[in-house]
Amino acid sequence: MQEFLESIENSGFATYIRETPSVLGYSTVLALHTFGMAFLVGLSGVIALRVLGVIPELPLTPLKKLMPIVIVGFWVNAITGVVLTSLAIVSLSRNWDFYVKLASIVVAIVALTKMRRYAFADPNARDDAPSSPEARRWAKLMLFFWGLAVLGGRLTAYATYIRIQSAAAVVVAVMVLLLLARFLVRYFRARATTMASSSSTLSTRKVEARV
Amino acid sequence: MEEVLRYWMRWPSVEHLIYSYLWVWGVCQSLHFVGMALLIGTVGILDLRLLGMAKQFPVAAIKKLIPWGVFGFVLCLATGLLFITGIYANVNIHPYVVLKSDVFLQLKLFFVLLAGANLLLFYVTGMSKAVDRLEAGDDAPLLAKFFAGASLFLWIAVMYFARLIPSGKFQP
Repeated sequence: MQEFLESIENSGFATYIRETPSVLGYSTVLALHTFGMAFLVGLSGVIALRVLGVIPELPLTPLKKLMPIVIVGFWVNAITGVVLTSLAIVSLSRNWDFYVKLASIVVAIVALTKMRRYAFADPNARDDAPSSPEARRWAKLMLFFWGLAVLGGRLTAYATYIRIQSAAAVVVAVMVLLLLARFLVRYFRARATTMASSSSTLSTRKVEARV
Repeated sequence: MEEVLRYWMRWPSVEHLIYSYLWVWGVCQSLHFVGMALLIGTVGILDLRLLGMAKQFPVAAIKKLIPWGVFGFVLCLATGLLFITGIYANVNIHPYVVLKSDVFLQLKLFFVLLAGANLLLFYVTGMSKAVDRLEAGDDAPLLAKFFAGASLFLWIAVMYFARLIPSGKFQP
């Protein structure tokens, strides 16, 4: 097994991508991996936020049109991910963090598929209709595992004790960010409600003035 | 000028934080990526709608996503500042030297500025208000499409050059 992995890592293709001084080698493959992640996680994350009711004003059904871009993002990530893995497959095969990342991606993709199925199940659903509890459950799971996959991907280069410290720090950071996001959502909703009620009061006063 | 920049760009408190807590760099990198995904996810949807994809969205509804994009940008900005001001603790090179000699970092910052200028022009030219009136199925004005296309291109360029930063040549 070890010899097989070494043969992949020392293949002509892997050596070229790893060692070429051109920016079109390793750096560009890494950049494509980032583009794929931004579109895959970013767009599916926005769909999940709508499913969870964070942005209820956004119509749900047209979000389905974004799925092809999400799928392209996934395949760009999958292909560049295989290339990047082949460059250091021997050390990655001994890195538990790498397996956490891979497992997180698998769970996130399954959750994305399930969320899509439940969220867009009814084509005649009203745009402002809340999503089903199943869709919300899968959306939460997907967001959590995307976060874990991103963290796992970033930490593969670090020593084990740094990864453990990072995981603890992330738990705290996520709690703070969630509280901040909750505050932002409430603030913008309250502002929208105030603006709506003040505009309706104004129009009522105009009608009264005319009468 | 160089002395002033050398003084201002190196933050001992940030370096101390990175020296003392080894997890800070990795966690901030993760947050930088989360911020980027939020920014691209939200701004990308608006850009794609203006370019004619998923026309079923009323633009005003998509604009509700903007605060999330701003949140993502602030997350990237805060962690990016930490990377620059604390880089000495990570690679033993003065941030001024990195900024002066790494062409990819310069290009990244240049494209961030261009993306900001593009956004400013989107508001100044009145396109922002014009697209607010677009209902489901409406086509965006040509100028709005130009701004949307430029925005997508510029943010992708920012991500590309950001990834090339470590391969830049540092000349102390």
